[in-house]
Amino acid sequence: MVRTEEMLLNVGPQHPSTHGVFRLVVKIDGEIIQEATPVIGYLHRGTEKLAEDLQYTQIIPYTDRMDYLSAMTNNYVICHAVETLMGLEVPEKAEYLRVMAMELGRIASHLVWFGTYLLDIGATSPFLFAFREREAIINLLNELSGARLTFNYMRVGGVKWDAPEGWIDKVREFIPYMRKELEGYHDLVTGNEIFLNRVKGVGTYTKEDALQYSLSGANLRCTGVNYDLRKEEPYSIYDRFDFDVPTEETGDAFARYQVRMAEMEESLKILEQAVEQFPEEGNILGKVPRVIRPPEGEVYVRIESPRGEIGCYIASDGQKEPYRLKFRRPSFYNLQILPKLLKGENMANLVVILGGIDIVLGEVDG
Amino acid sequence: MKGLAKGLTYTLKNMTREKATYHYPEEPLPLPDRFRGIQKFYPEKCIVCNQCVNICPTDCITLTGKKHPDPERKGRIIETYNINFEICILCDLCTEVCPTEAIVMTNNFELAEYSRDEFFKDLQWLDENDTNIRKEN
Repeated sequence: MVRTEEMLLNVGPQHPSTHGVFRLVVKIDGEIIQEATPVIGYLHRGTEKLAEDLQYTQIIPYTDRMDYLSAMTNNYVICHAVETLMGLEVPEKAEYLRVMAMELGRIASHLVWFGTYLLDIGATSPFLFAFREREAIINLLNELSGARLTFNYMRVGGVKWDAPEGWIDKVREFIPYMRKELEGYHDLVTGNEIFLNRVKGVGTYTKEDALQYSLSGANLRCTGVNYDLRKEEPYSIYDRFDFDVPTEETGDAFARYQVRMAEMEESLKILEQAVEQFPEEGNILGKVPRVIRPPEGEVYVRIESPRGEIGCYIASDGQKEPYRLKFRRPSFYNLQILPKLLKGENMANLVVILGGIDIVLGEVDG
Repeated sequence: MKGLAKGLTYTLKNMTREKATYHYPEEPLPLPDRFRGIQKFYPEKCIVCNQCVNICPTDCITLTGKKHPDPERKGRIIETYNINFEICILCDLCTEVCPTEAIVMTNNFELAEYSRDEFFKDLQWLDENDTNIRKEN
């Protein structure tokens, strides 16, 4: 008689498909996952606690290191929170530079997701192509801010640098190039039968589940909920741009793929309009006091990062440093649905489901 | 099968494209002027105002000053200036607050040493780090 027993298996903390230091304890019966428990905290640096001893400008480089694939949105959320609390006006030119930087960051972030996701599934070449295009974006952002990933570009009330000479033209040239490459990606991957068999109907959840788990970003929109903070609560100057919010109905891994691919196209649309409307003249930093001392009170702002709703809560007691700072980190919230999705799935689908959620461990652990 | 063939065509097309990689260690990496690398320090410009120490998010800068040797002149001059590159995150805030541009960024980024102690760079080392200095500061 053959006896079978359940086995506990550690996936990670050092595992290529977890994209960071993330451990997943899975209880498997043969090939079928009975239970999965995520273990997080390997990358916890205590950003929120550290921020209580830092001036507001000093917190900005720390936010770069949370979601390191789209640091511009993190820069923006802290600056936006302080500006809202102080009632500061941001010059128009600075807003355009911010939006362009954020949208470039969104494309770069989705490209990393696209490349690594397919690498997880077993396709090597899309990874190389995606990183080639991402390199072009990183070079653009490097020219603008002076760093490749940890930009530290935005300041309370504006941005640090004006666009260097010829930068806007480079962005303008990049848009058609990226459109063409995106078409190439669709040729390469979207129609591929092996890929479709691997992702269609895998990791499906309903609209109700997504809302109950407070998922946001592409993880929410893949179930048919049309919710994008750039449309719902337009911050910065997003109300000036014409773009769509891509949604899918099925809620499986393939829907999430389609939403993210379509989002890149929408970001290119925003970039195109921003480049056209970009004001040549104007300040890049508003009227900001030398020492930033917001009034007593609290504020919560939220914006749409590539991974979902990123929020920043500040409780200020009128000092140079915040009394309490809290980030709503979308990856952390999106990860919560993982045990539910993995239950009863095949072991081989683990990486497909985990990759589809698109987590960044720097953000999960904070 | 159609999808597979389409994908293969894309891959084949890319074989003839320009190479995306650099011959990095043999040839220097092209970097934009704004790139934030290891700082260069001008001791003669420093007025010991301590602003860089105060703004540093990781507290990696330490400095001491002394009275100007010429009793006729007021103010202080720099005596020691150290940056600990084990914890410096090259965030650019020190160069941003410096009123006299005594500390500026360079495009040098190669920071590999054989021991951790060697990451502790002193005034002389930072003064001698004078290649590829950033034009805009």
